[in-house]
Amino acid sequence: MSKEYIKAFSEAVSNILSQFGMAEISLKEIQGCGKNIDASGVVCIVGVFGDLTGNVIFSMTEDGAKGIASCMMGGMEIESFDELAQSAISELGNMLAANACIGLSDLGLEADISTPTLMQGIFTLSGNYEKAERIAMDAGGNDFDVIVSLEKRGQK
Amino acid sequence: MTKARVVVVDDSAFSVGMISNILIEKGYEVVGSANSLSGALETIRRVSPDIVTMDMTMPGADGIECTMAIHEEAPHIKVIIISSMMDDEIVRKAKKAKVSGYLQKPVDANELSLLIERIQASEELFVELDGVYYSVFKEALKETCCKFFQAAPNFRQELKINDEKVSRGVSAVLGIIGRYGGRMLLDLSEDTARRLAFHILRQEDLDHEQVVDAIAEIANIVAGNACSLLNRANPIYGFRVAPPTVVYGESIRISKSELSTVSSVIAETAFGDLYMNVGFSRSEEHE
Repeated sequence: MSKEYIKAFSEAVSNILSQFGMAEISLKEIQGCGKNIDASGVVCIVGVFGDLTGNVIFSMTEDGAKGIASCMMGGMEIESFDELAQSAISELGNMLAANACIGLSDLGLEADISTPTLMQGIFTLSGNYEKAERIAMDAGGNDFDVIVSLEKRGQK
Repeated sequence: MTKARVVVVDDSAFSVGMISNILIEKGYEVVGSANSLSGALETIRRVSPDIVTMDMTMPGADGIECTMAIHEEAPHIKVIIISSMMDDEIVRKAKKAKVSGYLQKPVDANELSLLIERIQASEELFVELDGVYYSVFKEALKETCCKFFQAAPNFRQELKINDEKVSRGVSAVLGIIGRYGGRMLLDLSEDTARRLAFHILRQEDLDHEQVVDAIAEIANIVAGNACSLLNRANPIYGFRVAPPTVVYGESIRISKSELSTVSSVIAETAFGDLYMNVGFSRSEEHE
């Protein structure tokens, strides 16, 4: 996966979360990961189709998801990861993927995204490709990972 | 096509008059007008229009804030911004606020009427999709079962409810991309997944990865076939399916989705139940 693609996703996280007033957003590390990924907690899966095809998965702990949803809702206290908080994280997944696609279009890569699917619990994800990249970020003290499982059209 | 009912929002009485005249001449019904955010909200509550034309600069709030306020109350109302200002930055902001179109003043009568026609056609297209997608996906699931298991499943619990679900253990998620975004989900127990994979691959000692791959492929075939059928019926849909992600584990909750329409069904097979959930979102962010 080209570094430029990765940059589009990490910048999307910084751009969007800072718009919600989150101050400390940083990139911790980028790791290659295999097909099976332990992503227990909360995941938001967004399908991508176009010059790049695959999935982008936003992964966080339930506490992290509550912290981020709280920030998105102007600091509102969130006791449980309820329907409102879930809706905020789904919308965040949608915004992040859409923003990253704008970044990718600057690189001449056009791709569209699907509606997000949000899941919570204890589980493993099996991606569509043998390799994926996990972009580990810190979002206001919350761990926030972007798992990028994308391939360029015609590439296998 | 039904006659669109339009509210004109502009702080200039001159512009309200001009835009209203164009709309009436083009055969639309102007059901109200307003010159402020509060006035706009009060008017749309009273007359429930299909479309609102919105000026960009108004006392107290800009057109984007007004659009967001209107969508908070009535997400189905389509907003067209008509403003003297138009540059990439404003248009980008307007798109983000889910504005249905942006026109520059002085507005061209044909351009406005073409935009309204396009918005109405899109709305009717979604109604058409809503009427057919479930039966198409159900048929694709039935056909896939018939081909792989030589028997049609029995369908039960056909529902059109968008709520949280608990996974049976293995869930294949496929994003749908096209005129409307969507997703399909195929959910089954680990045991059912194993029995299905065994039946298809005829191999005793299947490892977990082979089982997951088999489920991913079955889901991919169902979604791919269904989207092809929809595209054949109406090429404007242009649906494509993103590759599946399979989620498996001991405790998985699938949140209520952000979809405008959702349908689900349980297909009973000789190997166990397959739960299919499919839906689409009305918004067209990638037009």
